[in-house]
Amino acid sequence: MNLEKVIFGFFILLALTLNFGFFIGDIDNPHHHHAYELYVAIVVNLIATVLKFGDRTHIGAIHLATSLVADLQLIAAAILWAAAGTNGDDPSVIVSVVSLSGGALLANITSVVLLIAETIQIKR
Amino acid sequence: MNNILFLILRRMRLPIIAVIVSYTIAVAGMSLMPGVDPDGQPWRLSIFEAFYVISYTATTIGFGEVPFPYSTAQRMWMSFSIYLTVIPWFYAIGKIITLFQDPGLRQAFTTSRFAREVNHLMEPFYIVCGYGETGSLLVRALDKNEVRVVVIELEQERINELELEDYQFDIPNLCADAKLPETLLRAGLKNPMCQGVAALTNDDHANLAIAVAVKLISPELRVLGRAETEQTASNMASFGTDHIINPYTIFGDHLAMEVHAIGTYLLHEWLTGVPGESLKSPICPPIGKWIVCGYGRFGRSVVQNLELEHISTTIIEADPERTGCKTCIVGNGTEKETLQQAGVHEAVGIVAGTNDDINNLSIVMTAREMNPDLFVVLRKNKRFNAALFEHFKADITMEPSDIIAHECLANMISPLLAQFLSLVRLQTNVWANSLIQRLVETVGENVPETWAISITQENTPALFHMLAHEPVTLADILRNPNHREASLAIVPLMILRNHQPLLLPEADTALERGDRILFCGHDNAKSTTTYALSDFKTMRYMLHDQQLADSWLWRQIKRRKSANNVRT
Repeated sequence: MNLEKVIFGFFILLALTLNFGFFIGDIDNPHHHHAYELYVAIVVNLIATVLKFGDRTHIGAIHLATSLVADLQLIAAAILWAAAGTNGDDPSVIVSVVSLSGGALLANITSVVLLIAETIQIKR
Repeated sequence: MNNILFLILRRMRLPIIAVIVSYTIAVAGMSLMPGVDPDGQPWRLSIFEAFYVISYTATTIGFGEVPFPYSTAQRMWMSFSIYLTVIPWFYAIGKIITLFQDPGLRQAFTTSRFAREVNHLMEPFYIVCGYGETGSLLVRALDKNEVRVVVIELEQERINELELEDYQFDIPNLCADAKLPETLLRAGLKNPMCQGVAALTNDDHANLAIAVAVKLISPELRVLGRAETEQTASNMASFGTDHIINPYTIFGDHLAMEVHAIGTYLLHEWLTGVPGESLKSPICPPIGKWIVCGYGRFGRSVVQNLELEHISTTIIEADPERTGCKTCIVGNGTEKETLQQAGVHEAVGIVAGTNDDINNLSIVMTAREMNPDLFVVLRKNKRFNAALFEHFKADITMEPSDIIAHECLANMISPLLAQFLSLVRLQTNVWANSLIQRLVETVGENVPETWAISITQENTPALFHMLAHEPVTLADILRNPNHREASLAIVPLMILRNHQPLLLPEADTALERGDRILFCGHDNAKSTTTYALSDFKTMRYMLHDQQLADSWLWRQIKRRKSANNVRT
């Protein structure tokens, strides 16, 4: 067992699960989407991105790209929410935030699919 | 470049994660700490506000407590966050700084910059391996002759020297081992613009390795290899090294040339010198009895060549068995007795050719004391002894680096020049003297530039086009474009037509398409002709004294005018 691989897989999966946790629920209901969950999702995504740095293989490059996409969308959601200020609970705001996180979710799913594909290739 | 980015990213992983984690904890905690707003209502920082506060605190900017003064709980958390975030932040900055000072990374930077510079060379260039005495001399001369060079050198000190030198072109250089094929590839071995490789390091084995690598990777490239031993030379010859340069053999050869044809020798020196340098006055070695001290690589070559000129020699050698010398006087040559034995009083010349500079100087000083009229040939081995040699004022000082550089230049400036010089060897001394006189009259006493042009669509479009319609003579293209009655200070040395060389063509020689012409002259004249031969308007003026109008309208008016003139 390789500790590096454990940490790598852990963060990539955690990024996906947190992203999913934030995304799930009625799209316009602020009670279904917690700000701290988005916060943690962003942080975990950032860490996952950094862990993917420095891999020169083709699959490594795609890995990095998916993470960057997820980061971009989640940070955009956070900026939108923070910019709304006191109007943060408005359905119009929350809909945009959640839909952005939905986009990030797709990127995170791709990332996990890549991880699984890579794992299956290794026959040991 | 990509590799460098990956290297930086890989090394920066840990510091970046440390920063992210510390921020996460600080921001989350800050947003959870209870506070009180000015109205006495409970209040907390939002995540964004907490991020804002932590960001300016962690980077030590510090705006104070916004938007309201903090509660004790918030202040306690803040104190904790300061230490928590500032430390990883400095760690990351420190890491970046160490990373940029890392020798491995710097090497990666210089290597990639070098490869980029070589790739961007859009002109024909040569790779010079070894920037020692020989290399620097050659690079300087090539630079003056407007030939581009790429330098590979093993020692950083010499690379620094090169960077301080004032060259007209930017010379890409790399501190690396030229023996490694990878280095040669980086230096542009496979670049279509690469013309050849000069292996000039002071290590015969390295030169051999370079020559082998070049012949295997790009067999069509020309290789000039420096070889100081017979063994290396024959080894290089076995796989087709184009020019094998053995300074000792060449010196012997030149000495013989000086004895029997000083003019030819002088011409050779002149055409392969660094442009702009003044020419040494010629000294003709006397014919008579010579003493040669040291029968090594150098001495042997000198003796062989002097014997060819029917000059008798007496050899003084300390170790006759090892050097394979049959009849010689055993000794160093530094003692009076040995020299006396060799007959220094009757001799006309002495060659001090051992591989020890101090011994050489000692030999000639003693010999001159005994016979002040001696003609002295001195071998110089080490550059740092130059001051001593200058003081002694020998008639001829043999410097390997000088000889190698001249020989390389003859082959690198233009293949035509090498051919010309080999043809010059077949001419008489009188012929050479008259050519020298003509050169001095036309271009002055400094070393002139030598260059070749070929009459093709690419190189000289205007001339190429003109030749389709009318005959053009050599004198026509040597007219001064500013004043056509005068001609430029250029001496045409040779025309090569269908592989047939024509030495010193007459001014009324008619040119043909595909001709290659070797010129010699001042560098101003070089740039002038190069421009004129590719510019239609200038060519027309030079040939017909016609000023072609610039605009279409004027051309129409002129045409009408001349038509009218014809009618009336």
